[in-house]
Amino acid sequence: LGTFSAIIVDAVSFAAWLFLVAVGLTLVFGVLRLLNIAHGAFYSVGAYVGVYAIGASVSLGWGTALQLVTALAAASLAGMLIGLLVERCVLKRLYGYPEPLVLIATYALFLVLDDLTKMVWGGQSLYATQPRDSLGQIGIGGLQYPVYDIALIAVSLIVAVAVWYTLNRTRIGRCVTAVVFDSEISAAMGIYVGRIKTGTFVVGAALGAVAGALTAPKIAVSPGMGVEVIVVAFAVVVVGGLGSIPGALLGAAIIGLARAVTAHLFPEIEVFAVYLVMAGVLAVRPLGLLAPAEVRRI
Amino acid sequence: MNARRIDWTIVALIIIALLATMTASVVPNWIRYLGQVAASTALASVGVMVLLRAGLLSFGQGLFYFVGGYAVALMNRYAGVTDAFAVVLVAAFGAGLVAAVLGICLAGYRGIFFSMLTLAVSMVMFGIATKLRLFGGSDGLNIGLMSYFGYRPRGPQAQWAGFVFSIWIWTAFAIATHIFLRSRFGRLVQAVADNEIRVEYLGYSVRKVVWAAYLAAGVLAGAGGALAGLSARHVDAQFAYWTTAGDFIFVVLLSGQASVISPAIGAFVLEMLRSYASALFPDQWQSVFGGMMLAIVLFLPAGLDRLIILAWRMIRKVHARSANSLPQGTLS
Repeated sequence: LGTFSAIIVDAVSFAAWLFLVAVGLTLVFGVLRLLNIAHGAFYSVGAYVGVYAIGASVSLGWGTALQLVTALAAASLAGMLIGLLVERCVLKRLYGYPEPLVLIATYALFLVLDDLTKMVWGGQSLYATQPRDSLGQIGIGGLQYPVYDIALIAVSLIVAVAVWYTLNRTRIGRCVTAVVFDSEISAAMGIYVGRIKTGTFVVGAALGAVAGALTAPKIAVSPGMGVEVIVVAFAVVVVGGLGSIPGALLGAAIIGLARAVTAHLFPEIEVFAVYLVMAGVLAVRPLGLLAPAEVRRI
Repeated sequence: MNARRIDWTIVALIIIALLATMTASVVPNWIRYLGQVAASTALASVGVMVLLRAGLLSFGQGLFYFVGGYAVALMNRYAGVTDAFAVVLVAAFGAGLVAAVLGICLAGYRGIFFSMLTLAVSMVMFGIATKLRLFGGSDGLNIGLMSYFGYRPRGPQAQWAGFVFSIWIWTAFAIATHIFLRSRFGRLVQAVADNEIRVEYLGYSVRKVVWAAYLAAGVLAGAGGALAGLSARHVDAQFAYWTTAGDFIFVVLLSGQASVISPAIGAFVLEMLRSYASALFPDQWQSVFGGMMLAIVLFLPAGLDRLIILAWRMIRKVHARSANSLPQGTLS
């Protein structure tokens, strides 16, 4: 029973993290139809900004809640700023280009941003464990877990609900959905398609940075952490179906479960768990579980 | 084609190889080394170009580079094979085998799915390679001196021989790729990028074409990795890292996809850049590299060879005009 509850808690907390990382990626893909490799860089920028914000607020003597709020605010601001710059200066000029070129462009952006974080914050690992340590531990099923990790599950659910609510119950969200379906008709109906695209990209970048800032207290923030994140986030998004928010939730749940099960029962294949799930799902449903059907044009 | 015409690509390749061979003993050491490294990068990049012609961007060619390099190192270390031709052929064959198997799974994917799956496969390989004792962990393996059909050069001679060997291996593989791309089946690679469904209606299997392109790219990257191992006389797990595949993408992006020679231009520029940039800005290499990539995508998406083709057309146009206007000129 101990193992079972440990698997469940690990799965849910890992799934929560996966969803946080992947939601921005899938949102941007849904609206802009491009896979943003630079999302991994937004994540690491967010993590670094988070580390610094937490460090600064700790030295100011602020409480844990205030530390986290500062980190989130700083990270989302940084993410929005970089996202706005990237979209306005680079991606805007690439809409309608062949897919490989756009992919190369986001890859190049990733390289530049990754290097910039190294230049600004140096090559060594940084730590910001204060909020996670000060929140203490909680016992579930006879095992101790950091309260911070459990709280992340709630944060992730809040983000999921907020994104879903914005997309489905607000005016702006409906405009975004309309652009996803057909940007030309939306433009004819008087929606500023360009603004919607810019806005979505900025929000997606901010979500990536927030995910980084929330992860920062759990890990050693070091250069090169963005690459693995982008591959894992892609796996999550692909399992659920590219561009679908419920899909990202489903993908995160499946991959989180697979990772937790293998970590506890078959530790030697844990590294491959993510890829095995992705390969398995893609073999059955090449576009992911919740992807809408696409018309084949001859 | 009703008459057998001279294929200028093949002629140009052979001329380049002959020129390089003749000047090899005159040029300084570092140019020879640069040429050797550029030849290995160029070979792998030709593979990336073949895939890109099919509309597929592979972030995982580092995997085959790794397989090629380690095939050489392992054969040299454990089997004591020192013949350069043998190790390169086995390396290319080994990489081809891996590509053939992986290709069966990957041939069904397009676009970002293909790109990210190839990236995932090479990352898994990198993870395994850094842990396995057989592969020397993250330190890698050293490679001994090579012989060429019994000829065992030592000292400066060995470097000369290595350069000439690399150049001719590059030429041979480039010609083979050119002949493949020129063949009817090879032309289908381009057609797949244009419209898959039409290719299917014409009675060809798109899956087979993509598989063949992936196989060719794997063999080329394997041969390139073998040459890279031979020129540095050392291989490490970095070969399978995603930045290696990024180098090849950069090369193809920079040089364009007009012919199998093009990647050689890009590879040479890349290696020059790398050696200068690492001296000028040692810590900002990645930004320089990414910044250049962005600049090319934004301002010259067709690549450098497009400029050469445009210049060539312009010269021919001017030439043709002056030839046509000659009679008028004589009249007046």
